[in-house]
Amino acid sequence: MPSLPIWEFDVLLLVLVVLFALISLSIRNLMGAAIVFGAYSFMMCLIWAGMGAVDVAFTEAAVGAGVSTVFIVSTIYNTSATMQNKPGGLTFKLFIGLVVTLTGAFLLSALPDFPEWGDSESPANAVVAPYYIKNTITDAHVPNVVTSVLADYRGFDTLLETTVVFIACIAIYSILRTETAKSKTDEPEEEIAVLPSYDPSDSLIVRQASRFMIPFMQLFALYVIAHGHYSPGGGFQGGVILGASLILLAISFDLKFLLGHWSEKSLMLLVASGVFLYAAVGLACVFMGGNYLDYVVLDPILPGKGDMARSHGILLVEIGVGITVMFSMVAIHINLASNGRFDRGL
Amino acid sequence: MENLIANFNYVIVVILMMIGLWAMLAQKNLIKKCIGMAIFQTGIILFFISIGAKNEAKVPILSKFVAENPPAIIVNDYANPLTQILMLTAIVVGVAILGVGLALAQKIYQQYSTFDEDEILENQRK
Repeated sequence: MPSLPIWEFDVLLLVLVVLFALISLSIRNLMGAAIVFGAYSFMMCLIWAGMGAVDVAFTEAAVGAGVSTVFIVSTIYNTSATMQNKPGGLTFKLFIGLVVTLTGAFLLSALPDFPEWGDSESPANAVVAPYYIKNTITDAHVPNVVTSVLADYRGFDTLLETTVVFIACIAIYSILRTETAKSKTDEPEEEIAVLPSYDPSDSLIVRQASRFMIPFMQLFALYVIAHGHYSPGGGFQGGVILGASLILLAISFDLKFLLGHWSEKSLMLLVASGVFLYAAVGLACVFMGGNYLDYVVLDPILPGKGDMARSHGILLVEIGVGITVMFSMVAIHINLASNGRFDRGL
Repeated sequence: MENLIANFNYVIVVILMMIGLWAMLAQKNLIKKCIGMAIFQTGIILFFISIGAKNEAKVPILSKFVAENPPAIIVNDYANPLTQILMLTAIVVGVAILGVGLALAQKIYQQYSTFDEDEILENQRK
């Protein structure tokens, strides 16, 4: 048997990932499936960290294992977690099996053509990527190559990805949001007054623990955004952690408590303002006489010595990304958890 | 067989994509379909990260010493940053898309009180 090109521990994790994917799809209770899917994402994030992709692993830990599990759970909260056990017809199963096996066979047949794992001379590694690694310091003064590629060299890419998040947020609004009459929103308050003094969903321990945790989460998220130039992190990760802190507030206290601080209108305005900040930085570059998102020309209006302009431009853009991601995560959670009614929910 | 072991990452990618495709086609439950879509997507992300990995490479963050002496940068010491940033944005977009999928499923549940594909079709025929 030839020696494995990857670390043995990675083999274990890769097998576990496949197992978790199968378990998550075969569990009959949807809540269980959501939790196993969170574990699957976490395993995946360990694999990526092992391959040197720390920024990607960080994002997956915050997004895949954290927020997407919460999204699935809040959908189940409003609907049902049980599944009907009805086997499909035999021809249907055979057909699906054939399609999936054929797809797998075609993909596997391309396997010998791939470059060997870890080959530093493969086309993906040898053509354009070395330029970024060699020039990130002289161009942008940013030691974290991922951040400088994300917000500077490939800034258009990130601008449009942020726009996609914004559009997805609008799509969820237009699918789920329903108008509630004023009189209806008053009713729940009366109901709450009748509730018994002890409500198991309203735990003092959870409230006090999250009251203690949320400020630290937000401080850490701000550090992740501001320090993304020098360490793993940036606008996406920090934005998701900030969003998660507000989602934790909504879950541990009440959706009404969160909406008392952030009204629906201000949430939507902030989601849009993040994308606007990103696009405005690009436009400012045009007005200063450069190309779109070419931060060098912003030098006269930004602090610091001449060659730091690109570094500061990256920070501005990352803040825009952070704002959009944070508030779109919160808005998506509120829509899913309250069934689009924006009054109460998970 | 040797080829399979040498390209173990890619084999897992193909298996994950097959699982995701199977779930999207064969599962009757809409939430399970959404989970299948997310599994398919993580398979593709694993593929990109595997392409960008290098033997004996570190994370693509330059140390203080190297940052002060740009000529001292050895490219093959660092993993490929390009595939990483493409996937970083793809993950965040992926969760937004998952949210749209779940919102659609929730709206369908409001209408038909079920996540089951067959029951939805039956209710539509009535």
